[in-house]
Formats: sequence, structure tokens, C-alpha cells
Amino acid sequence: MQVNLKWEVLKRWETLLAAVLFIVVVFNITQSPIFLRADNLTNLFSLHIEKIIIVLAMALIIINGEIDLSVASVMGLSACLIANLYEQGISIEIAMLCALGAGILCGIVSGFFVAYVGLPSLAVTLAGLIGYRGLAKMLIEDRSIGNFPEWFNRLGQQPLVGSLPLSLIIFFVLFIVVAVALHYAAFGRYVFVIGNNRESARYSGVRVRQVKMTLFIISGLVASLAGILIAARLGAVRASTAEGFELDIITIVLLGGVSVFGGKGTLVGVALSILVVLCLRNGMNLLSITGNTQSTVIGILLILSVLIPNLAQDFQSIWKRRRLNLRE
Amino acid sequence: MIRLSRLLRPEQIRELSLVIIILLVILFFSSNIENYVSGRTFTRISTSIAIITVVAVGQALVILTRNIDLSVGSIVGFAAYFAGQQVSANQDLSPLVVVGIAVGFGALLGGINGFIVSYGRVPAIIVTLGMLAIYRGVLVDYAQAKTITTEMMPTWLIDLPRQNIISIGDVDVRVMVGLALGVMIIFQLCLSSLPFGRRLYAIGSNPDAARIAGLPARRIVLTAYILCGALSGLAGFMFLVRFGTITIAAGQGLELAAIGAVVVGGVNIFGGSGTMFGVLLGAVLIGTLEQSLLRTPQVSEFVRDALLGLFILLAVASDSVILNQLRNLWARWGRERALSAMLPTEKETTHAS
Amino acid sequence: MTSILELRHIGKVFPGVRALDDINIEIRAGEVHALLGENGAGKSTLIKIMTGIYQPDSGEILLAGNPIQIGNAAQAQAHGIAAIYQEPLVFPDLSVAENIFIGHQSSGAIVNWRRMYREAAAIFDQLGVSLDPRSQARGLTLAAQQTVEIAKALSLDARVLIMDEPTASLSAHEVAELFKLTRILRERGVAILFISHRLEEIFEIADRVTVFRDGKHISSRPIAEVHHEQLIRDMVGSNLDEFFVKEVRQKSDLSISVRELSKKGVFSNISFDIFKGEVLGFAGLVGSGRTDVGLALFGIEPADSGIIIWQGESQKIKTPEQALKMGIAYVTEDRRQLGLTLPMSVAANITLATLKNYLNGLGLIRSREETKTATMYRERLSIRTPSIWTETGKLSGGNQQKVMLSKWLNTHPQLLILDEPTRGIDVGAKAEVHRIINDLASRGLAILLISSDMPEVLAMSDRILVMREGRQMGIFNRQDVDQETILKAAMGQAPVRNPA
Repeated sequence: MQVNLKWEVLKRWETLLAAVLFIVVVFNITQSPIFLRADNLTNLFSLHIEKIIIVLAMALIIINGEIDLSVASVMGLSACLIANLYEQGISIEIAMLCALGAGILCGIVSGFFVAYVGLPSLAVTLAGLIGYRGLAKMLIEDRSIGNFPEWFNRLGQQPLVGSLPLSLIIFFVLFIVVAVALHYAAFGRYVFVIGNNRESARYSGVRVRQVKMTLFIISGLVASLAGILIAARLGAVRASTAEGFELDIITIVLLGGVSVFGGKGTLVGVALSILVVLCLRNGMNLLSITGNTQSTVIGILLILSVLIPNLAQDFQSIWKRRRLNLRE
Repeated sequence: MIRLSRLLRPEQIRELSLVIIILLVILFFSSNIENYVSGRTFTRISTSIAIITVVAVGQALVILTRNIDLSVGSIVGFAAYFAGQQVSANQDLSPLVVVGIAVGFGALLGGINGFIVSYGRVPAIIVTLGMLAIYRGVLVDYAQAKTITTEMMPTWLIDLPRQNIISIGDVDVRVMVGLALGVMIIFQLCLSSLPFGRRLYAIGSNPDAARIAGLPARRIVLTAYILCGALSGLAGFMFLVRFGTITIAAGQGLELAAIGAVVVGGVNIFGGSGTMFGVLLGAVLIGTLEQSLLRTPQVSEFVRDALLGLFILLAVASDSVILNQLRNLWARWGRERALSAMLPTEKETTHAS
Repeated sequence: MTSILELRHIGKVFPGVRALDDINIEIRAGEVHALLGENGAGKSTLIKIMTGIYQPDSGEILLAGNPIQIGNAAQAQAHGIAAIYQEPLVFPDLSVAENIFIGHQSSGAIVNWRRMYREAAAIFDQLGVSLDPRSQARGLTLAAQQTVEIAKALSLDARVLIMDEPTASLSAHEVAELFKLTRILRERGVAILFISHRLEEIFEIADRVTVFRDGKHISSRPIAEVHHEQLIRDMVGSNLDEFFVKEVRQKSDLSISVRELSKKGVFSNISFDIFKGEVLGFAGLVGSGRTDVGLALFGIEPADSGIIIWQGESQKIKTPEQALKMGIAYVTEDRRQLGLTLPMSVAANITLATLKNYLNGLGLIRSREETKTATMYRERLSIRTPSIWTETGKLSGGNQQKVMLSKWLNTHPQLLILDEPTRGIDVGAKAEVHRIINDLASRGLAILLISSDMPEVLAMSDRILVMREGRQMGIFNRQDVDQETILKAAMGQAPVRNPA
């Protein structure tokens, strides 16, 4: 029933993304025959699994009309916290719990200043980006801490269902939860309405501040979870772990058709965007294109994704006006 | 009090309080660190903030118009690399030409940003986020993993960091510091004395009114981005001079520090108000804190980013709360002044508005 | 006196409504030309055409006898046409002097502050105003901001100044000051178009007065040859829309009682009762504070003082959630921005305020229930939409209005506050909305109907409360009044009549 709502939207952005995905995949297959191999496909995801987990939370935040620049720093902070506590002899399980707690705390701080004090989220989370990274540096200084227990290191990679690693399962579970919450639950509706127009949400009796606070807490929690996973995957943690991730994360969300002004976006689009970006990166990896060039390509994709519709709109109105003028 | 409100504006009070805070910080550290108040400290701190000041001035131009430029770090790095490459290939290029190359290159990159924001109507965050990656990526491809090193530089460039503009006793004012100060002064004058500068404020203060008043908003925003890029290019040159070694990671993260200095310095993140002098103060405060903490044995050097984040938060929060209260107060006093300046007979028949 | 600005045979059509129909108006140099008309008469469309924001569909504009095009705001300014509005557009961060001169700096390269302040002070001298050119625009009162706008017009050597309801938010003293300025401008030969609802002001300042009604030009007369009654009759017209005679309602239980409701600077001492099954119409001109009373009752902008008695108990309504729980619903006049979430589906909009009732154990929306509700309202209110899952933004204005109405009806309110429910919708949809309102009232709902459409208020209401500039002018039984009486009260031309 609800799917009917989607069909109209799908006609536009998501279809374009699917077409791009198709092109990318075909390109990859023709350029690198090993693209479709199972281990390559697993690699495709696992290298970026922590990022795309955060993408889900970031999508919610941007649809709500806010932004969270601090996610990568919270990720780094949580990873550093685990390393620091573990080094001091605290069991890794407790350390993980503490990391999650830290993420929630970070979310509460951001949420408080944005939802209740009313500060712009750009400024607040910018402070968080710098500040939380600083806290991470205080914990780890300039060392690299590792030597985690075996089972922890295998945590993300642990094949749980068939050959799917745990982290991928976490992603899928989270994806389903967010997709359901966003498109089928009351909470999701509120997120959209607030992002579309904060005042009008208030006029309809929506509790705007609570929703915003909840979203920032979710963002912090998910970021800290990602921090745990990346600490596990890399096996060692530095103060610079996850530095700069927010760029990719925000890019993927915006590329997925989520409007930077809020109120618009689908998780289908975000999912397609994730696939496009991951396949692109993977394909470029197989062609030995450097990570930097990959980021360049994705940056171009991001800008074009907004520029081209704008230009198309301009042409359309010029065309229309010309037709009207001809008629008179 | 009411009289005072004619002389000082709330924004100026904010700058004054920044100065006081800086003095307090210096006071605090002078009691904790030996020989803190000395020429050497001044030189050290001033050179460390010179580069970020120049970038922050450019960033402020863009933020005043209610936009942002996240790509300045990449522009700085690219300009540094490009200029470094040119001068290492032609050792007898005059210093002015080298500066010109860096500035021109930065202006070009900034212009691309500005064009897409202004005329392509793509939100500034998206454009500059993408360009951050694009410029960095192009730099990496262009450099092909070759690093610029000090040996490749002409002597004048290597000596430049130690050149002084003036030397008063113990205190050395380096050329780079002088450059940063000069930039700040030039653009402060620009903001306060050129029609272009006033229009920057107008666009950020009320974009709709600017449109209706017939201001050429798109051209002005484009110019702001070109200038921001040019200043980032200049900062690239200073980067090259200071560090000599330019890797492909040069300049990474500068955009955040620049925005931090701008925000702490009292420029409204939504544009419309703020001064370059304030930006300088913001950079000075942050730089002083950072460098001083570096020398404080009790405090780890890794605290500085945490503090910076805290500072930005406090600056924005206090702006939102305190500055607004001050503004309302000032507005009320202004009305009372106007009322008391009226003739007695008129006052009698005035209703309270 | 020479004609400066003349509009001939101007027509302007928007989807579904003809805003201006063969309008002719002429403003002469050195005259204050008043423009009168009810809400929706076409005044603001005319102003937008004069200032280049809209283009006329037909007709021509002549400036000092020469035909001109006004393609955009900058061109209007170049032609010497300036406008000041109720809500002035200033740059809050810039100084007063800069606000005047921004956009047309007198000299080139460098900003000459001293000269700017001097010239600003000179203009203020001419106007006899004591404003500090250096003060920041942010702190200025509305009246002062308007003065700055007038100074700007003077600095541009404007030949035509349009004043759009400039006195609506001013105190008596500030109005007197404004008129002093207006007279000075008149002496200088500026052609002034003055729009206001206050008849006494028009008689004080205007030389000629033109009346619009329903987008048509009705009359233009020298002020000396006209009197109040005549003007009001022109505004109202003799062909009133047909409306059915309402049965007189039986007296029934009290739904809500409001006593001395006040909000500083917005409205004061509003007192009324609404009975179940009754429609209490709130009449008045735009800006009279009716919406604010509605917002106060719904908790969006709570009142400062006063008593609200709901179902026998005194209540302080502080939040919309509280109002909803009590059974009060408010349907906003701004359906596009505040009333609906246009990118969302019709069904989603309908259930938005009551979403809690559609959730299953996991907090997910029960699609079938939602579909049922949406389909029910679609039938009941005859909402024309391809599907209940269509994007609401794609519907026509009238149907959007019905969707918004459905949302609030779904909260099963006992008091329904409707704010301009038929604004901007076509005649057919309007009739349907009226039918719905009657139906609701007959089922026992108490309805507070805020409307600037006089015939509508008369047709729908059992009693009518008239507001003017935040004050209550009177409560009338419907059978005792007609359009003229209400308009008189709304414009302050009738003695105040509030029941004891």
C-alpha cells in the first residue's frame, strides 16, 4: 500500500541513480573481470562498512533539516576510548559499553544545543568535530594502541550467517530498522515534516525538540558503534582513526537524493547511492586508481547531482517562456 | 550607560571582551611558564597563527554573505604545491611573481567555487564539500607522489621565515606576520570603506532585501569566493615558505581551524556581521591557547583540539544568547535616547510604543 | 497637476482567480491618492505590478505619458517608483544611513562615511525627523524603519511613492509624524499612492480616493466630494453573493468561554462565548488580531492574561499538544507553509496530527487504518485527487484546503478554529467547504470562523464578533447586521457594542 507513494518519487532521482549504478557496474565488469568474484564483493563492502552504517543515521539527520559534522570524530573518540580503557586493564566488553555510552553522551550534548538552545547545527557539530577529535587525541596521544583480544579483532569479520560478516549484518539490520522507521513509522513522518518546515510541524502538534534530540542521540550512538567496529577491523587505533570520514558520509547521503535543506529523501535512494559510491570505489580500486582520485570522482558526482537538475530546470523555463512568446 | 551606547556597539563590546580574554590567557600562562612574556614567545606564536589568519580572512568574506567554503584547505595545499613547483623549476623567478602565481592559482580555484554557488545555484556546502575532495584529488594526480622539498627552493625563500619586518629589542616581527597583519588591515578597510564590503554585509544581513534593492548579489558572492581563493593561495605561499616541504596532504584540516577562528572572532555564521579585526582576535586567541598549552608541562599537547571545540561552542552559544540580549538592550537605549532628544511638548503627547 | 503614473486597462489573472479586471488608475504629481478596497479587492496585486514583481497580462503602464515596462524591482527603482510596506525591508546589521544609500552609493570608489551621514542627516532634516544616521537599523521601531524607507525613496528622487498600509502598526503619534512626512513629500511633487483601511486617515491626508472591489475599479473621486457612507457602499457593492438563510440555532450548551483575553501589543480584552453547534464568525480587516486570538487558543502563541473556561474548568493553554488533548483544533490560514507538508501524500497529511492513533505495538503505522481514514475523508469532503497517496503539493488549492481540514477533523475536536478557510480557492470548492462547516455545526461542533470575506461571514455565522486593531468592536447576532454594518465596525466607524 505504502509503496504506491514511492512510485511517483522513484520516477525521478532514484531511477537516475539506478541507471548510474547500472552503468558503473557494467563498466566495472568490463574493465575488471574479477569484479563479480565473491571475495571482491565482500571487500567492496567491508572496507567501508563503518562509514555506510553512519550514512543511515546521517540520512535521518539531514532529512530533519540538520547536519552532524561530528560523526567521524565521535567514531574516533569511541575507538580511542576502547583502546585507552583496554590498555588500562579494563575488560574489552566494558570498554565497548563505555564507548557506546560516550557516543550517547556526545549526541546528548549536540542535541541539547541544537534542539533546546536553538543554535545552528552546523556550528555546534563543527565544534564537536574538533572537540571530540581533541578528546580522542588526549586519550591516545601520538601512539597506536592495539593488541586487542582475538575474538574482538575478528568481531566485524566474523561470518555469522553463511559467509556474511557480522558488520554487514549489523548494516542490514540497521538499514531495515531505519527504513521502516523512516517510511513506515510515526517517527519517520515527524522527521520529514520537521525537515520540511519546523514551524508547520509545531502547528500540527509535533514535538519538534524531542525528535531532534532523539536524532542526535541516535547519531552519536551509531557513530560510536561504528567506532567499535573500525577498532576491531583495523586491530589498532590511532588518534587520527576515522579522520575525514564525514565527507564521504555526507556525500553519499546527498547523492542519494536527500535534500540538503531537509524534508526530502528516501532510504532507497540512499541505498542506491551507497551502492554507486562503493561500486565506483571498488571499480577504481581494481583499476589501481588511487583513493584520492576516487574522492575526486565522487566529489564531481556530488556537485553534478545538484547542478544538472538546476540547469535542466533553467532550460525548461526558458523553453516554456519561448513557447509562450511565440504564441502571442 | 545610555550615552555609552552611542559610542560602542554590542559587536565592539564582544571584540573588547576577546581582547580581555586574550590578556587573561597571557596572564595565566605567564605565571605558569617561565619566560613566557618574551620576544621569543611572541615570535613563535605570531608565526604559527599567520597562515591561519590569512585563510580566516578569506573565509570570513564568504561567511559574511551567508555562504561557506570548506575547500580552502585543499586550495592552500594546491597553491603551495603549484607555486613550489614553479619556483623550483625556475629558480630565478622574482618573489613577487611567485606570490602572484600562488594568489592567482588560488583565485582561479575560488572562482570556480563561486561560479557554481552563485550562478549554478548549488548550495555552498555541497559545492565546497565536493571541491575539497576534487581539488585534493587533482593535486595528488598532478603531483604524482613527488614531494616538494626544501632543497628545491631558492635561497630567498628558505631564508624568508627568519626575515623580520621590524625588530624592537627582543621582539622580532617576521615578514610573514607582517603579511598577515597587512592582509587583515587591507580587508578590514575594504569592509568598512568600500561599497563592495558594505554590500557583502547587506547580502548576508537580508538576502531578500538585497535582491529587491537591486544589488548584484551573484556577482558579489562570486567576487567573495575569488578573494577567498586568492587569500588561500597567498596562505599557500606562506605555507611553502614556512614549511618548505609540501606533501600532497598539505593544508588538510585548515578549513576547520579557519572557520573556528572566524566564529570565535565574532562573525555570525549566518553572515551580516563581524569584522576582520575580530577574526584576527579569534585566530590570536586560539593560537595563543594552542601554543601556550604546548609548553605547559601539566597539560598534554593533545588537549588543544578539545579546547578549540569547546571554545567554538561557547562562542556560538554566547553569541546567540548574550549578543542578542545586548542588542535588545542597545535597541531599547537607542529608543530612549531618541525620546529624550525630542521637545518637551512632543514628549507629553507620546504614547508608550 | 500632471499625471505621473497611469495604469490603463490592466488585467492580471492567476490560476482560478481574476485578480485585476480592466483596471484604470492614475496618480498625479503632488497628490496623495488613496486606494480603498476590501481584502482580495486587488490592491496588493496592483502594487506588485507597479513595483515590477508581477507583469500585467494586459494593459499598459505610462510614466509621465510615456509607455514603460517594469520588468523587475531594479527597473521600478530606475523609473523612480518606490514603495514602503507595513513590514519594512531593512538590513538589520547596517547603519541607518547605509540602509538609505546601499544600492546607489553617491560616489564611486570609497565609501565616504562623513558625506553619507551628512546627507542622511540632511534628508532627515528635510523630513523634520530626528533619527541618528549612525544607529544600527536593528534597533529601530517599525515607525522609524518606515521613516528610513521614506528617506531612501527621497534619496532616490522617487517620483512615485506607494505606501501600503503604513499606519497599520503605528501609534497615533507615529501616524501624525508619518503624515507630516507625507505632506512634505507632497509639497515636493511626489505622486503618492496611499493604501489604508482607516477612513479617518484617508479623509485627513488624501486628495483623491479610488475604490476597488473584486479586482475592478469602482470609483475615483476627489476627497471633498465624497463621504464615509458612499465609500463603504462602493467597497461592499450592491450585489451581495447569494447566501442561504441559516436556521436560527437552538440555545445549547456552552463549549468555551473566554474573558478578557489579552496579549501585550497584539490584542486586548477579548471576551466571548461559543456554544456547541454554533458558528461564531470573527470579522475584521487584515491585521486586526483575529489570527492571534486563534493562535492563543491553540497554544502556539499563548495569551498573557485572561480566562479561558473549557467544559466548566479554567484552563491555561500553553502548547498545541495541550490544546489538542482538550479538543481544540486550529486550521491555519497559511496552508502551503504551515498547514500542510506538501511533499507528503494526502493520506499522510490527513493523519499527521493524530498519528498516535494509527500505530501498532511496534510503533509502526497501520496502513490499512490510515487508508480507511483517508478514503473516508476523501469521500466525505469530496477531495479530488488521483489517489490518497498523491503528493499533496499536486492538488489544487481548494482540495489542499480540504486535506488540511480533514487533518483537523480527524482529531475529533469540540472546538474548531478556522482561519480563512476559503482563501484562494475556487467558487465550487468554496461552496463545498461551506457545506462541510454547516454539517459540522449541525453535529454539535463549536466553530470559530475567522474570515475576511464578509459575505462568507454573514452566510455562515450565527453570531459575529468584530475585531479592529486588537480590540473587540462588538458581537452581533447575524440577523441584526449586514455587510455595511460589519465593515463600519471593522473600520471603527461604528460605536463599540459589546454585550455585558
